[in-house]
Amino acid sequence: MSVTFNKERKVAGWLLSAPLLLMLAALLIWPVYLGVKTSFTHDVLSEFATYGAGFENYKNLIHQPNFWLSLRFTLLYAFIATVAEVILGFALALLFDRVFPGKRVLFSLMLVPIMIAPSLMAVMYRLILNENIGIIPGFLQRIGINFSIFDQHNVFASLIVLDLLEFTAFTFLLSYSALQNMPSEIYEAAAIDGANARQVLTRVVLPMLKPAIAIIFLLRILDSIRTFDSVFILTGGGPGTTTQTVGIYIYKTAFIYGDFGLAASAAVVLVLLLAPFMPSIIKQFNLNQGGGK
Amino acid sequence: MRLKKTSIALVSALSLVVGLAVLPAANAATTVKMVLWPGPEGDAMQKVVDAYNTSQGKKDGVTVKMILLSRDNTFAKEAALMKSKSSEYDIYFTASYLVGQHAPYLSDLKGVKDSLYLKASVNSLKVAGKQKALPLDTSLHFMYYRKDLIASLSANAAKYTSIAKEVLGKDLKPNTNPATWSWDDALATAAFFTQKYNPDSPTKYGYALPAKNLLYNTMIWNDVLWGLGGNWLKNGKPNLNTATGKAAIDVYNTIYTKGLTSPESSQWEYAETNSALTSGNAAMALQWNAAYSELSTTGATKDQVGIAAPPGKGARTHVHALAVGLNKFSKNQAASAKWMAYLATVPAMKKYATAGGVPSMPSILTGMVAKNASFANIIEYAGKYGYSESAGAREFDIYAALAEVLSPAWSGQKTSSDVAAAADAAIQKLL
Repeated sequence: MSVTFNKERKVAGWLLSAPLLLMLAALLIWPVYLGVKTSFTHDVLSEFATYGAGFENYKNLIHQPNFWLSLRFTLLYAFIATVAEVILGFALALLFDRVFPGKRVLFSLMLVPIMIAPSLMAVMYRLILNENIGIIPGFLQRIGINFSIFDQHNVFASLIVLDLLEFTAFTFLLSYSALQNMPSEIYEAAAIDGANARQVLTRVVLPMLKPAIAIIFLLRILDSIRTFDSVFILTGGGPGTTTQTVGIYIYKTAFIYGDFGLAASAAVVLVLLLAPFMPSIIKQFNLNQGGGK
Repeated sequence: MRLKKTSIALVSALSLVVGLAVLPAANAATTVKMVLWPGPEGDAMQKVVDAYNTSQGKKDGVTVKMILLSRDNTFAKEAALMKSKSSEYDIYFTASYLVGQHAPYLSDLKGVKDSLYLKASVNSLKVAGKQKALPLDTSLHFMYYRKDLIASLSANAAKYTSIAKEVLGKDLKPNTNPATWSWDDALATAAFFTQKYNPDSPTKYGYALPAKNLLYNTMIWNDVLWGLGGNWLKNGKPNLNTATGKAAIDVYNTIYTKGLTSPESSQWEYAETNSALTSGNAAMALQWNAAYSELSTTGATKDQVGIAAPPGKGARTHVHALAVGLNKFSKNQAASAKWMAYLATVPAMKKYATAGGVPSMPSILTGMVAKNASFANIIEYAGKYGYSESAGAREFDIYAALAEVLSPAWSGQKTSSDVAAAADAAIQKLL
């Protein structure tokens, strides 16, 4: 009886999951399979024929200095932007974790940037930061500040700041939600023990929220590593390749140079580089959920 | 017997239903899907499409549906469709710098009358002697300058000479005729209109340099190279690691490092170059002919913009044609050919020009000079100074690779000597 019941439950489980699994297969597994397959083929737009190339694309990729330069830039950009966004987001969440007048309006305003597509934000930045017609350079010049936002010496910092303006809202939202889940008894206990605000933060709040912060950091850094649209629109990866992300490298290799095989191999390498992060995220997520139940 | 009657009735009813369903389909026009990009070309083409669909298209039994992909990524999307041998679109948008890459996926076009078109445009769309696409717009470059400013040079000859000596280390006198400018004249004039050297200059910078890592910016820089007598290739071998190649890189490097352009111009392309001119921040720029409409009617350049051929010992301008080609995998080859035959006629291209396009037919451009004065220059410059690189299937890739290699030198991060050998290597790899 019990064996039959378990079998029926199993079948029902598969049946209920089937639509999701089919969707996953169609939208994720199949494209990934095609991508991996392309990475083992000679697939160039200007040549009609496509044929198997073994590991040729991977060998070529290893000898592409631009791939390594773009990887270096991407990791540096992602790391700096993510660290800054996590710190800023958390600091803002602490500020909002109390009652003050106008909190609801300010809270809504804080979330506006994550509702706008990064490409749209980049186009907007291009307009408002345009030295000739932009509002911000015009204002800076009027008050006597001569600062070129997209001067090649400032471009890296400018890209980071623009990233912060868009994605700090994301880290803020997650940090705020984690803070809201902290039981008030813990704060009361800390107050009874005579802990001051700094001690509450460093010895109570931060240790308790460590798993949540780790998840926020990992989610954000994974997203940063995939950065494409905003940098592509603002700098095109230049001057030269100084601001070229791996995403831009892959895009250019496929759609400008027409080498789909090489581009696919770069995409596979990127996935392999990111894959080790996944168990950490799942582990941290389980910790956050109460020990992997 | 009864069953037989019922069967006959059912079959008759079914035939009637099928017949009624098939009848309109048999009479319906074949829909031809054509890709173009949004902007002036897409807007103008829509007028031609509408005119065709309501007149000639009815006779041909063809309805054209135009699909505008994004301006930035039309070619990327087409590349993916071509490689997958898709029949989704019947007619692809292409260009002379891309036709080599697209050629394997395009049908040969027959019956295109070369004599109707600008020679440089129609020839640039041939691959291995076969016409692969039909020219639409012709694009080339003008040296745009502020007429009011250039006219003031003569009155300031001593100051001009002194600034030229300071910036370029050369003894130069003002040349108020940009049509005869060498690059030294252009640079000295740009320095004169840069407030860093001449605080009385009405413009902050003398030049607007589109120096972003973008293949279309390489096309503009290429005019400097050709104007100095250079070329990508010599006897089939890369030719940029030469005195002429380095001199061409140095022109851009000098403009940037001497501060004749904004420090931000390392991220500039078409739109920023235009805004630098119309805002009154810059006095001159080498720019696409398409900018004329905006520059002649907007801001500081309104009614003051002058046009000359690009500077150089022998002026040269890059010429390319935007075009449409027939998808080899289209299931509507005959219908698409009918539409393209219409598109190749003078009346169709006249409609296109009236709606804002710049067709590659000299007879139409000549007739519309009153509407757009730059049309006369297009015919003249394309004929006299026009060139197109003939680097085969990878021409588009070479433009992109050179933008990547040369843009650090254009913006002063590296010198011409640092990048010239790498530029040759990039070309060699793609040949």
